[in-house]
Amino acid sequence: MDKSQLFGRRLPLDQAPPEGHGIPALRQVNGRWQCQRCQQWIGVNDYLPHRIPYCRHCLNLGRLTSHTKLYTIPEPNQFATLTHSPLTWQGQLSPQQRIAAQAVLRLTQAGRNQLLWAVTGAGKTEIGFPALAWALQRGWRVAWTSPRVDVCLELAPRLARAFAVPQAVLYGDQPRPYTYCPLTICTTHQLLRFEAAFDWVIVDEVDAFPLATSPLLQLAVRRAQKPTGSHLYLTATPGQDLQRQIRRHQLAVTYLPLRHHGYLLPPLRVKLVANWQSQLDQQRLPGNLLRQVRQYQQTGQRYLLFVPHVKDLARVQQALRRAGIEGGVTVHAADPQRQAKVQAFRERRVSGLVTTTILERGVTFPAVCVLILGGDDLVFSTAALVQIAGRVGRQRDHPGGDVICYATSQTRTIQRAQAMINALNRRGRRLGGRCP
Amino acid sequence: MTTCVWCGRMVTPTVTLATLWHWQPLSTPAVCAACQNRLQPLHAPQCPRCARQQTTTQVCHDCVRWGDAWVNHAIFPYDAVLKAYMQQYKFQGDYRLRVVMQPYIRRALARETYDVLVPIPVTAGTWLTRGFNQVTGWLTDQPFQQVLTVDDAHKPRPQSSKTRQERLRSPQPFQLAPAAEKILPNQHVLLLDDVYTTGRTLRHAAAQIYLGGAKAVTSLTLAR
Ligand SMILES: [Zn+2]
Ligand SMILES: [Zn+2]
Ligand SMILES: [Zn+2]
Repeated sequence: MDKSQLFGRRLPLDQAPPEGHGIPALRQVNGRWQCQRCQQWIGVNDYLPHRIPYCRHCLNLGRLTSHTKLYTIPEPNQFATLTHSPLTWQGQLSPQQRIAAQAVLRLTQAGRNQLLWAVTGAGKTEIGFPALAWALQRGWRVAWTSPRVDVCLELAPRLARAFAVPQAVLYGDQPRPYTYCPLTICTTHQLLRFEAAFDWVIVDEVDAFPLATSPLLQLAVRRAQKPTGSHLYLTATPGQDLQRQIRRHQLAVTYLPLRHHGYLLPPLRVKLVANWQSQLDQQRLPGNLLRQVRQYQQTGQRYLLFVPHVKDLARVQQALRRAGIEGGVTVHAADPQRQAKVQAFRERRVSGLVTTTILERGVTFPAVCVLILGGDDLVFSTAALVQIAGRVGRQRDHPGGDVICYATSQTRTIQRAQAMINALNRRGRRLGGRCP
Repeated sequence: MTTCVWCGRMVTPTVTLATLWHWQPLSTPAVCAACQNRLQPLHAPQCPRCARQQTTTQVCHDCVRWGDAWVNHAIFPYDAVLKAYMQQYKFQGDYRLRVVMQPYIRRALARETYDVLVPIPVTAGTWLTRGFNQVTGWLTDQPFQQVLTVDDAHKPRPQSSKTRQERLRSPQPFQLAPAAEKILPNQHVLLLDDVYTTGRTLRHAAAQIYLGGAKAVTSLTLAR
């Protein structure tokens, strides 16, 4: 085995390598076993024969038992020196993007932990490019990670085209073996395999499930970063915790309240409906929602209809059919035809897509309108509503469109989402943002 | 509140009239209803020899090619659900998942006629890496005899990575344990294995068991 495999890693090996430091993978603390890779407690029944405990929490990264050792070699940053900037990207940043990119670069150079709070459709990936180019040229080891595998998969080819450095892409069922590279693109879950490896960690969609609710993954990000390193969070919708860190000046922040085309975000409109759930039980939809869909149907306007739960999909489709509206398909996370259906919608072979929150972020459809059924349901968090609204008006030639939320009442969550959009638009207007 | 051992979702105890009537403690199943539903047992028609699920009740092509009268019973088709289960249980080594299959194996064994139960063994090397025998993991209190041993030298690569041709050609990997001569004579032996793929492994095991003096050998596998 090449020793670079152990640089900045936490790798279980059957045999001790000639070089490197090993620690027991499971440690006993007050009579309970704790996994040293994922920090979770071993369940009372999670034993192999002969009372050998093993960790079920990080099993998909390779099983760890009390007999396993995790090996590491401290990160040496053994990369080829770059005499030129590795940035090969030919694109142009808008004036506002350039200002934000400069701010991110300065904070990176200062080694600060920072957040780039850029509205949906601001082009936040490219805003990070100048800082990433600087970091790589300095010989830093960088991880660009996201809790969502689809974000990583979409990102990897873009970064491969934009930067002339060796890159490793890591995710669950990844077929290629691990290689030691200056730039690693991976899911946050994969960071559990690293220890003090990265000078700079970029976390894309930091507020997305499951990172936002998982102490395990938050630990993974912290531990993969060098003690001397720093991180950059990217999001359009920071949660309460991040906003608190900003207020306390624990996290530097760069705002980009304007989309790359200079238009403001479309506002989130609410239409009150009588109990939509019991209507759905009778395979009916609220009258105003049906009228809206019918109008889209007549004008050839494509729409995304968000529903709270997977079980609502079939009933909504039934109700649409009963009302004489055809041409829509449904999609959810575990749908085996998910990619194909999304592609069909993108290629305009389908006029409407009825979906769960799975399409709330990371997807761009030109000239689309968005309807949300049951916006008062708990699955639609403030962040989810803002992200969903952000699917609309992303293209320069179609900067506007409807975002209509059908709810039984104007909940606090909905009001917060409206307030967040309004606040961003106020900042955007000051920068010369126009109404679409 | 407990969680499903397989999918990790919350499981709520099921209250039936019977449990209330008999004042039994509320039992929380280790496996949730959704996971139970995904496990669909083999149904008719099947090959009368190897239990393969097919469209007729004729002896299947593979069994005809073997040209013997081997009888194997099986519980589940080796479909995507069973493959996912075996992937996590056997290949990722999640020993805890043995409880998912324990009730099915218990009921299937109760339907079999035999004198001695012999699980297919794993090699010493597998014991070192996996840490358990996936077959005996499914047994709860059923008595069994480990009369077979298997050599690492005869298993250079895992069974699952071989082609059908390679498997059929593979040499006898089993030996009889010293205790076998006292246990086997004149007994009806039931072999227990995880998956019946080509039937090669079970026939190798049976050949040794017959040498030990057994009068009949049949087999039960979790999947076919
Ligand atoms: Zn663990
Ligand atoms: Zn389950
Ligand atoms: Zn057959």
